[in-house]
Amino acid sequence: MNGTTRQDLVITRDFDAPRELVYRAFVDPDQLAAWFGPVGYSVPRDSVSVEPKAGGHYRFTMVSDDDPSQTSPVNATFSEVIENELLVGSEEWAGAPGLAEGETMKMTMRLEFHDLADQGQSGRTRLVLRQGPYDPELENMARAGWNSSFTKLDGLLAG
Amino acid sequence: MATDRLSEIFAALADPTRRAILARLAESDATVNELAEPFEISLPAVSRHLKVLERAGLITRTRSAQWRSSSLNAEPLREATAWMERYRMFWDTNLDRLDAHLKRLQQQPTDPSHPSKGSTS
Repeated sequence: MNGTTRQDLVITRDFDAPRELVYRAFVDPDQLAAWFGPVGYSVPRDSVSVEPKAGGHYRFTMVSDDDPSQTSPVNATFSEVIENELLVGSEEWAGAPGLAEGETMKMTMRLEFHDLADQGQSGRTRLVLRQGPYDPELENMARAGWNSSFTKLDGLLAG
Repeated sequence: MATDRLSEIFAALADPTRRAILARLAESDATVNELAEPFEISLPAVSRHLKVLERAGLITRTRSAQWRSSSLNAEPLREATAWMERYRMFWDTNLDRLDAHLKRLQQQPTDPSHPSKGSTS
């Protein structure tokens, strides 16, 4: 993958399900409400609103099962949508370290759905999730510099 | 321009020369001249990169005019990566749930157009 900076979260996961099904789990409100959220949180169906197209919105709220007053709303806007293949969206986030009260920062999320039939694994799907303060312009800047020096920096961060 | 600290850190890290400078400083403190050596860029250009890194809190520069050296300040790096690590954990458990959801979905015998896999061998 090009231009990955250390501050992009990249997660790859294979699912034993066809690509259309995995994609639908993210854009079908009924399905999203059925699975999304960390353990101990639920997504009420009536909080979900999805417009899977460029410029469309992606809204839902995670609610704590123990304390329903604890909520974590998601309100993102899609910038790129290819049915069954790609979802790219961004959201203004508050509450990150280093942010003053009332300040937000732009978080970008990219979801790629790869059909593993190409690799002889029919009916399986690889999801590549990328999240970060990720900006295509920064990617262009970083693209040239993905070199061995960064390995040292990784070692430093791990230490 | 970056408007907050974390964005400033990420923006500072986005540039390959600045990452290389940080990697060099991870080995030891260095002067501008020493930092400029491996790069085909001018001293003023290196100074500009150092300014960006300093503003982001990633390096500290001594104020001695003669031997002004830079040293790495790893704390903001750790802060930024720790922050992303939280989201990795979030997604790991979240995708476990998606996996379970997809399994349930495919086990439901309501739709005969989706026969279970593994029937051929």
